[in-house]
Amino acid sequence: MITTEDEYALIDRILAGEKQLYATLVDKYKSYAYTIAMKILENRSDAEEAAQDGFIKAFHYLKNFNRQAKFSTWLYRIVFNTAISYKRKVKPAFQSIETSIIEYSERADHQTEQDDKQVYLVKAMNSLNEADRLAIQLFYIKEFNMEEVAEMMGQNLNTIKVRIHRARQRLADELTKILKQEALTL
Amino acid sequence: MKKLSQEKDDQLLHYLDGELNAKEVEAFEKELLLSPDLNLRMEELRSVRALLIKKAQLEIPSKNFTQKVMSGLDAKPARSVFSYRQGLLLLIGSVIASGIALALLSAGVFDAPTTPLIVDSPLKNDWLNVPSISIPFNGKILVNGIIFFNLGLAFILLDRTILRPLFQRRNSMGY
Repeated sequence: MITTEDEYALIDRILAGEKQLYATLVDKYKSYAYTIAMKILENRSDAEEAAQDGFIKAFHYLKNFNRQAKFSTWLYRIVFNTAISYKRKVKPAFQSIETSIIEYSERADHQTEQDDKQVYLVKAMNSLNEADRLAIQLFYIKEFNMEEVAEMMGQNLNTIKVRIHRARQRLADELTKILKQEALTL
Repeated sequence: MKKLSQEKDDQLLHYLDGELNAKEVEAFEKELLLSPDLNLRMEELRSVRALLIKKAQLEIPSKNFTQKVMSGLDAKPARSVFSYRQGLLLLIGSVIASGIALALLSAGVFDAPTTPLIVDSPLKNDWLNVPSISIPFNGKILVNGIIFFNLGLAFILLDRTILRPLFQRRNSMGY
C-alpha cells in the first residue's frame, strides 16, 4: 500500500530521472483511469487509448503537479479531459443489427430480474444529459467522493451536488416509467 | 401515486444519504409512516441507488496497458498550434494594432491623395540617363487593407481560442 508521502517521494524520484518508477503509478491507477475513460467514451479501444494518452500527458506535466490536491485527482482530471477531447474527435461507433440480435438472444436465455433492471437503468441513463450522467456514474465508482468528482470535471462542488441529486431523481422517474411500460406490454 | 414536491424529494435523498440530523430524522420517519406515497418514492430512490452501486464496477484495462504507457513516455504529447493564453495575447495584440491604425487614419495621417513611390534605377549613372520609376501609392488604401486583415485575423483568433472551445465544451457537457 503506497501512502501519499510514499507517492510524493516516488514522484520526486521520477522527476529526478528514474523514469521506470512511473510504472508503479500507472499500475496503481490504471483501472480507475480506464474506467473514467470508459464512462465517457463507451468504447474499449478508444477508452484504453485515451487513458494511456492521459498517463503520458501526466508524465510530461508531472513537474507542474503542485501537490495541493491528491496525485490521483490531478491524474484523473487529465484523463477526464483527454477522454472528452477524444470524444469530440471520435465518431459514434456503428453497431450492426446482427450484433444487437445476437446480444439480445444470448441475454434472453440467461436473464435474471436484476439483469433486466440493469438494462432498464442503462435506458433510463440515456434520458440524462451527458454532464449529469457522467457526474452520477463517477460518483458511484468506489472511492470517488463529490469533491473529487467536482475537481475531475472542473466544476463547482455545489453544481456537482445538484447534478447528482437531480440525476438520481430523474433516474427514479424514468425507471418507474419504463417499468410501467414494460408491465403494459406483458 | 401522487407526485411529490421537489422539497420532499430532496428531503428523501438527504434522509437516504444520512444527511439529516437526529431531530429531522425522527420527524421525517413519522411522516414516512403516514404517507404511502413517500414510502413508495423512497423505495424507488433506494432501488436506483442499489442499481447504480451494482453498475459501478471498475473496468479492467488490457494486460499490456502499463507497458504501452511506458513505451509512449518518450513521445512528446501533441500540442495545438497555440495555447489559449497565446491565442488570447495574439487577439489582444491584433485588436490594439487595429485600434492604433484606426486612430491614425481618423487623425488624417494618411489623407494625402497620392504618395509617389520613387524607385531609382540601379543602372543610372553619368553616361546612362534612366528616369526614376514612380509608382502611385495611396497610404489610406494600404492602411485600410491592414486594418481589414487585422480584424479578420482577430475574428479567427476569437473563434479558435475562445468561442469554439467554449461551445464545444458546452455541447459535450450538455449545459
